[in-house]
Formats: sequence, structure tokens, C-alpha cells
Amino acid sequence: MASEWVIIVSELTRRFGATTALASVSLSVPRGGVYGLVGANGAGKTTLIKHILGLLRAESGSVRVFGHDPVVDPVGVLSRIGYLSEERDLPGWMRVDELIRYSRAFYPAWDDDYAEELRRAFALDPAAKIKNLSKGQKARMGLLIALAYRPELLVLDEPSTGLDPIVRRDILGAVIRTIADEGRTVLFSSHLLEEVEQVADHVTMIHQGKIVLSAPLQAIKESHRVDGRVLSLDEIFVARVGKA
Amino acid sequence: MHSPAAAVAWQFRQRHRWGLIALIGYLFVLAMIKLVILERGQRIDLDDESFAFLVVVPLTATFLYLLSVFSFGLSGDLAARQSMYPARMFTLPVTAAALAGWPMLYGTAAIAILWLATRLFALWPSDVEVPVIWPALLAASLLAWTQALTWMPYPLRGLRVIITVLWLAMIDAVVMVALNFKAPETVMLAILAPHVPLAYFTARFAVGRARCGEVPDWRGRFARVGRTADALPRPRDHFPSPARAQLWFEWRQYGRSLPWLVAILLPFELALLFVFSHTPELIFEVLLFVVFTPPFMAAFVAATVSKSNAGSDSYGVTPFIATRPLTNASLIAAKLKATIWSTLAAWLLVLIAIPLALRLSGTSPMVIEWKLQIIQAVGTPRAVAIVLLGLSALMASTWKQLVQSLYIGMSGREWLVKASVFVVLSFIAIIVPLAHWVVGNRVVMAALWNNFALIAAVLVCFKLSAAVWIAMRLHDSRLLSDRTLVIGAVCWDVAVFALYGLLAWIFPALLFQHYLLALVAILAIPLARLSAAPLALAWNRHR
Repeated sequence: MASEWVIIVSELTRRFGATTALASVSLSVPRGGVYGLVGANGAGKTTLIKHILGLLRAESGSVRVFGHDPVVDPVGVLSRIGYLSEERDLPGWMRVDELIRYSRAFYPAWDDDYAEELRRAFALDPAAKIKNLSKGQKARMGLLIALAYRPELLVLDEPSTGLDPIVRRDILGAVIRTIADEGRTVLFSSHLLEEVEQVADHVTMIHQGKIVLSAPLQAIKESHRVDGRVLSLDEIFVARVGKA
Repeated sequence: MHSPAAAVAWQFRQRHRWGLIALIGYLFVLAMIKLVILERGQRIDLDDESFAFLVVVPLTATFLYLLSVFSFGLSGDLAARQSMYPARMFTLPVTAAALAGWPMLYGTAAIAILWLATRLFALWPSDVEVPVIWPALLAASLLAWTQALTWMPYPLRGLRVIITVLWLAMIDAVVMVALNFKAPETVMLAILAPHVPLAYFTARFAVGRARCGEVPDWRGRFARVGRTADALPRPRDHFPSPARAQLWFEWRQYGRSLPWLVAILLPFELALLFVFSHTPELIFEVLLFVVFTPPFMAAFVAATVSKSNAGSDSYGVTPFIATRPLTNASLIAAKLKATIWSTLAAWLLVLIAIPLALRLSGTSPMVIEWKLQIIQAVGTPRAVAIVLLGLSALMASTWKQLVQSLYIGMSGREWLVKASVFVVLSFIAIIVPLAHWVVGNRVVMAALWNNFALIAAVLVCFKLSAAVWIAMRLHDSRLLSDRTLVIGAVCWDVAVFALYGLLAWIFPALLFQHYLLALVAILAIPLARLSAAPLALAWNRHR
């Protein structure tokens, strides 16, 4: 039987020189649903995601994804994760069809029909070189190769940064499609709180490397009322970070 | 910082401070030798080779370094159509004349000072009369034109490289012709003086165009060729495994560079066979030059092969590659396989081109005569073995050049990469004059020869200790399975024994003791540095 938790982070601390990027962070992401990770720029969201992907080694504490240490077993973990990086670092010399052909080799569950459906939906010319794509097209291309094998865990690191509303809509649509498949999980990091508010089931707020709030979105909203009015996630974040 | 001029100067100084400190250190050492040692009346006999390695090589390297620094050539794509002038500076509230002028002024001043310092402090051979100004002006002109031509936007990709190389070569050729006719310094100055102002106006025009985003585009004129290329069938079949996909990735990214470079150089080198077809000694030298081309070029290609983040200024591995569901060992294996294909492709070109050129140039009888002489001297089997061993050694050397610095580049640490370059350059600067001195000193040569076995044994101990430590780390960190480690060790043993057997057969025991050949075989087959590559990548990928 599959474990209830997809990600378990315990007492994770990370320092870069004198800066503490993460201070005793603990969180558990349950299977299924959308987990929103919100915080200001430099709060530690990307550092946490890099630990989950095994790109950073835990200095102290532990990270388990699907029950494995992503540093010790990168193949076992990464083959089950779809990842859209905020850096859009796809190899520019490849053509769209070459990148699809190359990427599918790594994932036995790659769905050719779904990939083609996404390529058409995103209007990506198979002969176009990646370096000639616009920023939005690159984001769509990254999304295509992150989704086409229907990963158990979809990790989106600041996916909407610098993108137009149409591409952001595509990304949110992808998140919704992913959660429509039962048992799949999305970890969505963003500083655009209204986006997270639209799709997240559970929200974790991170500030200066510390978790300041982590609860189901509904519970957060219920517990933050002013004169009977439910506060927006933006307002709750400002209130929390102001206190932190 | 109160002016744009000071800000531009600060930017150069801050970014390249370590290079400048190293340069000042080098000039300081030269000055100390000249002013302290020579002033005391001690005479230093400087032959051509020592002069080349003490002065010419560091000076040329420094010149090229300054060229890259002041043309902003260290960041950016040299082959791109767009200007290489940093786009971030276009928004500064200064004129295009200032944007072009200040870097040019600093660059030409730096290069002129470099020449004057070298002239003053370097140990020049006593029979050479060193000119004062025109070499400084030549260096300044070359720098100014490099700046102007690298900052210019071009209508086609790669055109920058062609135009810059041709134009600089033309300036050089004019100077060489003038020197050939023993032109006096005034004539040299008259030839070179207009270059810097002309280059400045070109640079100002180039920066002005680039600032407005004007990039001429002739790609449409080649659209038919492009359409034909698009129409060519692209492979659509699936990769049978992730490892094959990664091998394709590595091959496409840099695997073709070495065969391309060799293919470009070969026609020029082999054309010399036609020129010197009646001079047997030169034919031999040309052939030697040709067969050393792949390992020589591999040393340059290695810089891109060993970079964990190709096409970027960053040293760390990209998230795209780092998140491939492949082990570190598989990622390194793909690189190693791609370099093997690269080596084989380059050598295939050489092995096809040499017989063809020998036949067409009519020089094949000379080579056949050498072949017969070798067979007469050592017999057919040994002659075949020697040629095959030589060829294998050259091919292995080409591959070794490509992969031997992987363990540095894969670490993704800027300080380590830069420190390794510094160590290698320092090593060359020390070892070459030292070797030259050793070769000329019979007592030292005899001592070295007598202790050769001991030196080789110490090196073998060092190599095997490093290999054992790396194997333990690979095992402990589970980067390689026990089975892979054992297979690797067995393959290495087989390679060592095969080489030892061949050497023992070729060289009779009278000539070399067989244990010496065994030590040489152990040292020749790569082990420690190659095995360290997965460790380095793991250190980079999981920081």
C-alpha cells in the first residue's frame, strides 16, 4: 500500500555562509491534492524544493520523498517527479520534437498521446529551436515535459514568474488537470498568493527560512476573520509575516 | 565613484582583480630577476627555448587574456549575431562614444603598459634589439579592432569570428611584410597609427547600432537551405534507454566539436605535403604535425566537455540535467562514451585523409621507403606492433585529453576550476625550463636515469593510493555498485597487462628491465582522475 505521505521533511536546516536559508523546517505533504508553498522572494522556497529534488544535501535534519532520500536514490525519486524550474534552463540547441524525444527516454510511463495533445494545446512548433521560443513558450515546453508522463508528484517552482496571464492560466490548468487524476500530488511554490489561493488545498507560509503557518487553506481562512470578513491569503500573509 | 569613466574602470578591476594580481606578480618576478640578479653582474645565458617559455608564452597568454577582458569576450557567445557588448550597460546614461571609448582607452593603455613593462623587465637575448613603441601600438591596434569587431552586430551567425580573424591576420601580415623589408620604427608607426582611431569610430558605430537593437539579418537569404535542412528526416524512433538518450545529448552538445575542428585544420596541414613534396624531412614533420592534431585540439575541446554547465557562465550543473532520473555514474558514463565516439570520428578523418593526401601529392613512395626501413630494422611483426602501439597511444592520448579534467569541471566549483588552471600554468612555467635545464645537465640526467625505477615506483604508489581512496569513497557513497567497481578494476588490470605484454615484446629485456615496463604500463592507463569524476559530479549535483 502506498504511503500516506509523499514528502516528509524533518528539522531541515541549511546555511549558505552566514545566511540561514532554512531553519529547522519540518513539513509533511500528503498524497493527493495541491500543496502551496508561499513566501516572499528569498524566503527559502526554492532552497526547500531543491532539497526535495536532491539538488541540495541536508546539512542537518532529513528529507524523504516517496520514503527515499533523494540524494541517495536520485533515480528512484526523480523518475516519479515532474519538475518545472523557475530558471527555464531547457537546452536551447534542441528542437521541440528533439526535447520531447530525449525526455521520453527517461520515463517509462511517458504518454505520447498526452504529450502530443499538450504540444498542440500549447501551440509549440515541433521544428522550433528551444532558444528561439518566447519566455512563455519555454514555460509551456517545460510544463509539457513535466506533465507528459503523469508524474505522481508535480513540483512547480515559481512557475508564473514573469509570464503573461495566458501562460499562467495554462499552468493553473495543468495543476487542475493533475489533481483531477486521483492520488497525484502538486507542490506549488509562488509569491503570487492569489494564484495559490485558487488551487491549493493546503498552504505553508515560509518566511526567512522558517515556517510561520501551515494548515489547510479552508482552516486558515476560517481562523482569519476580521469583523466577520474572511481575509484574503495576501492579507493573512502580510499579517503573519508582520508578526514573525 | 564620481564618473562613468571611474565606474567602467572599477568594473574591469573588480571582476578581473585576480588575473591582474597574477599579472603584476609575474612582472614583479621578471623585474626582480632583471634588477636584482643582473645588476649584481651575474650573467644568465638565455637560449631560445628558455626565452620562449619565460617570456613569449606568458606574454602571449597575457595578451590574449587582456583581449578577452577588454572586449567583454569572456561572457557571451562569440558566434552569435548580436553584439557582445554587455546589454546591461546600454541603459547607462552615457553616450555611445563613452560606452565604446572608455573600455577601448583602458584596454589600449593596459596593453601598451604590458609591452613597456615586458620590454623593461624581461630577459631579452643580448643580440636582439628590442623596439620601443611600435609593438605597443600593434598590440593596442589589435585590441582596439578586436573590441570594435566583437561589439558589432552581424547579419549571420559565425560571421564575427571569420571577419575578426581575417582582419587581425591582415594587420599582422602587413606588419610582417614591413618587418621583412626592415622598415624603420617611423614607418611602422605610420602604418599602425591610424588603426586605433579607426577602430574607435567603428566601435562607436557598432555600440550605437547594438544599443538600438539593430541586428542585420541575412538568414532569410539562406531560408531555402534552412527549409531543405528541415525537410531532411529527423530521427523519430525512441531511444532504447535513458543512457542512450543521454549519450545522444552529450554527443549533440559537444561530441562533434573535435571532429569538426580536425576536419577544418586537416586540409591546411595536408596542403603542406603538396608544397614540400620534394623535401623528405619536411614531409615527416608535416605528418607528425597532422597526427598530433587530434590530441592537441582535444586539449581545447576538453574545456567544454568537462564543463558541467555548457553554454553558461555558471559552473554548477543545471537543474535540467541535475533532475534527470539518472545516476551520477550514468551521467559520467554518457560523457565518456561521447568522448570515445568523438575521438574515433576525429581519427577516422585523419586516417582517411593522410593516405589520400599522400597519394595525391605523390609523396607516398617516401612513406613506403620509411616503412621498409623500419621493417628491415626490427622485422615485420614488431614494425606492425610499433605502428599500432603508436597509433593507439595517440588515440588514447586524444581521449585522455578530453576526459582527464572531468573531475575538476564536474565539481562545479569556480574556485577549483580557476585554481586548477593556475596550477597547470604554474606547473608548465616551472617544469619546462626545469626540463630544459635537466636535459642540458649530464650529471642530473644520469642521476634521474639511475633513479628512474624509484621515481616511477613512487608515482605508482601515489596513483594507486589515490585510486583506492576514490574507490572507497565511491563504494561508501553508493555511487557505483560493488559489481561495477570490480568490473572496472578488472578492465583496468587487463589493459595494464596487455600494455605491459606488448611493451615487453617490443622492447627486449636488454634495453629495459621488465619491471620498469610494468611501472610505465600502470602509469599510462588512466585510473584515479577518471574514477573521481562521478564523485565530483555528486559533489556538484547534491550540494
